[in-house]
Amino acid sequence: MLKQLKQKALQEITEAKDLKKLEKIYRQYLGRKGELTQVLRSLKDLPEQERKEKGKLANQVKKEIEEAIKDRRKKLSVKGGQDKKWIDVTAPGVLPSKGHFHPITLVQREIEEIFQSMGFSVVDGPEVETEYYNFDALNIPKDHPARDVWDTFWLEDLDLLLRTHTSPVQARYMEKNDPPLRIIAPGRCFRHEATDASHEAQFHQVEGLMIGKNISMADFKGIIEEFFKRFFGPDVKMRLRPGYFPFVEPGFEIDIKRKGKDWLEIMGAGMVHPNVSKAVGYSPAGGWQGFAFGVGLDRMAMIKYKIDDIRLFYSGDLRFLKQF
Amino acid sequence: MKISYNWLQSFFKKKLPQPAKLADLLTMHSFETEAGVRVGKDYLLDVDVLPNRAHDCLSHQGIAREIGAITGVPSLFGKKPQQAKESKSLRVSDFLKVEVKDKNLCPRYTVRMAIDVDVKPSPKWIQERLKICGLKSVNNIVDIANYVMLETGQPLHAFDFDKIQGGILKVRRAKKGEKITTLDDENYDLDEDILVIADKENPVCIAGIKGGKSPEIDRKTKRIVLEAANFSPQITRQASKQLKLRTDASWRFENQIDVNLTEGAIDMAAYLIQKIAGGKVLNGLIDVYPKKVRPRKIGLDIEKVKSLLGVEISKKEIVRILESLSFKIQNPKSKILDVIVPTYRLDISIPEDLIEEIGRIYGFEKIPSRLPEASIIPPQRNEDLVYQNKIKDILVNLGFSEVYNYSFVDEKEIELYQTKPSLVEVANPVSQEQKYLRPSLILNLLKNVRENKKYFEEVRLFEIGRVFEKDKNKVIEKKKLGAVLFPADFYYLKGIIETLLNKLRISDVWYDDKLEKDNLKRAKVKVGNDLLGWLGDSIFELDFSKLVELATEERIYLPPSKYPAIIRDIALLVDPGTKIIEVLNLIHAAGGPLIKDIDLFDMYEGEEIPEGKKSLAFHIIYQSNDRTLTDKEINKLQEKIIKTLEEEKGWEVRR
Repeated sequence: MLKQLKQKALQEITEAKDLKKLEKIYRQYLGRKGELTQVLRSLKDLPEQERKEKGKLANQVKKEIEEAIKDRRKKLSVKGGQDKKWIDVTAPGVLPSKGHFHPITLVQREIEEIFQSMGFSVVDGPEVETEYYNFDALNIPKDHPARDVWDTFWLEDLDLLLRTHTSPVQARYMEKNDPPLRIIAPGRCFRHEATDASHEAQFHQVEGLMIGKNISMADFKGIIEEFFKRFFGPDVKMRLRPGYFPFVEPGFEIDIKRKGKDWLEIMGAGMVHPNVSKAVGYSPAGGWQGFAFGVGLDRMAMIKYKIDDIRLFYSGDLRFLKQF
Repeated sequence: MKISYNWLQSFFKKKLPQPAKLADLLTMHSFETEAGVRVGKDYLLDVDVLPNRAHDCLSHQGIAREIGAITGVPSLFGKKPQQAKESKSLRVSDFLKVEVKDKNLCPRYTVRMAIDVDVKPSPKWIQERLKICGLKSVNNIVDIANYVMLETGQPLHAFDFDKIQGGILKVRRAKKGEKITTLDDENYDLDEDILVIADKENPVCIAGIKGGKSPEIDRKTKRIVLEAANFSPQITRQASKQLKLRTDASWRFENQIDVNLTEGAIDMAAYLIQKIAGGKVLNGLIDVYPKKVRPRKIGLDIEKVKSLLGVEISKKEIVRILESLSFKIQNPKSKILDVIVPTYRLDISIPEDLIEEIGRIYGFEKIPSRLPEASIIPPQRNEDLVYQNKIKDILVNLGFSEVYNYSFVDEKEIELYQTKPSLVEVANPVSQEQKYLRPSLILNLLKNVRENKKYFEEVRLFEIGRVFEKDKNKVIEKKKLGAVLFPADFYYLKGIIETLLNKLRISDVWYDDKLEKDNLKRAKVKVGNDLLGWLGDSIFELDFSKLVELATEERIYLPPSKYPAIIRDIALLVDPGTKIIEVLNLIHAAGGPLIKDIDLFDMYEGEEIPEGKKSLAFHIIYQSNDRTLTDKEINKLQEKIIKTLEEEKGWEVRR
């Protein structure tokens, strides 16, 4: 009788299609008035020998039914039942419409994060500049051949120009803020030059400036090495060579080398020229000194993403933008 | 500058490092240098001389001096140069007179003469050296002048004495109307801004730039005048620009060269002429040099070297480096060195300049890399940046891609505007398409759509950037946020603005359809009385700084009501010109504070609706924060609303 009961119960459990049905089966056999419960209850009236044997068997059956229900419950709750329609989980998902950041924004954000974590504030300056801030305050005198390096867009009927670098922000910021200071200034710049894959009439730079007591070239190397390591990875190597920018002295060019690649010129820098400090009104007796640098954002993005044509940045072409 | 390796070697007794190695050393310590091709037995080095060293390093001598300092290979600079044998009886001053009108424009004018020369092709070794440096061989006299320039950096010029009228050379400004034909048969009109060398009558040379045709050296030339002069960089630059004429000579004068170069250079040229072209070098020279330039002295504090470079270099080493570059130290024992700077080092005027020399010869690679000791000053919060990042995040999440467009626009594009803004014009545009600074972001965004339509059915773009307008003699530069949507959908785009402003917690936003006639615009976006920007069917543009000003990060949590909400619907027929905002205002006024929200869920014109009407349907959500609302009170409010709405002429609540 117990065997039949067990078989019937197991059969019903296997056939149960949902959890509700399964609960019903549980109650039918193992509930307070369940079939098996009643068998177990009736044991007490049997003679000892028979009670022992039947009792053992009944408890085993109880255990088996309980196990079967437990298993089935697990399956039903995971699968959600067999009546759920089959779907192809390998078919592509429905994509929400998604926008993309401009690659220069991505690079700029990364650079800002790195420098902010080292205590640099992010500041801003105008794109239309005066000759004073773009050149004079930066120790680039009028009628000096050094000015030819910066091919300049001038504005008609106005004594103004489009900034050729972000360096004017240095002078503007120093004028208004006392040292010590640490800033970076990202922004758009303009050069009057013919356009090709590596030259554009507009481009983006980040200017950096740190002024303090005893801030030296060694400190510059420390900060910039840290920056390159975070940006390009710990394997990146850097080197300094002599360079000339009228607003710094000494001046240097910075090259980087990534694994398996050639040296790449990437940044101009130097120690802030005393004439710049003088122009912004720092007293020479103050003992303030520091470094400044400028790095091309377009160039950083080109290296990072292997972009081979600078004009793509300004094309507004979604086929390009969608990749970032 | 093109430099010959063998020529450099001639300044040293000992063997120099191999060309590739030498190029590396120059790159790391002086100038970026490429070890170029082998030319015969020689090698070409392409040295990119830095602008501040154009004074002294556009010459083999200059580069050799650098190499001497970097490598420590002893050079032959100290040796006395070879001199021509001068004629005993014939003096230059017996033949020629020199007149310099303005010593500021021509600080020095040095002349020598040779007679009975034999003008012919120059020897092979000179031709080869000129060739590797990119110069054409002309004849021995001209070649020697060029050769000396390449060696010393001092441009020289040779005249045929017999073609100079009146036996006089005058350095003067040209006169308006004067003309000159140069050696290459080009004609130039001259004026007062151009300095010339003239004979008794006419200009025979554009000073420091190019010689004239008239006193050209030719095969028959027997008597020559050699000139080694110093011209002001400003006048040379001005003339070179004005005439659009750049030469090897003008390049050097523009960058200013040492006044004290002329004598050594002209002596060298005289020596070579005598050796190669024969003839007699006349006795003496004419040297108009009224204001002598003497070496400068700079005090260099040893402590300052350490402080700026961040590395301790011993005084002995500092002195060694400076002396290797031909600086003289008067008091090597002192803490503050008195450094005498050779006159050809026009780039050195302050202690920092000397520190650069010490640093680069010592080796930048030997300067340690360390993080500065600085006080902890947290970076300032930049509101613009915070919100710029936030706005970009929001728009990208809403499916818009970011573009960076040109700050320039085409004249033709501007015509899209009904009301023309005062444009900022570029005086020297690269092209007509880039003639103006953009007065708005939308022109280029619309162009982006036109281009992208070819490949995409849907285009959603935005840009944050500066726009420009002219205001009298100033330029007003503003940051804007612009976005474009294709295919156009006004309500979708308005939803984008609403989401954006909501996320920035800008409230009190309203849309004003009172507009100047404009094809692109539909409404002004306003916050209270402030104009935030405008919106059209496919495009919007908002003032970025206004957004930042109005945005806030403050939020106050409102707990949801514990009591159930009751939703009632109202359907309404109105005239098609009726604005939703009017209906909403009336419902709110009639329904009072128990109205939690009103939701327009249908707006319909057409079939089943009477002609000339539109149907609006609203869910009205009632809820109280302190009790459960009863059907009775809601019915009363609903009645009141319906009554209010029906009081409007032509409105009808559908039941």
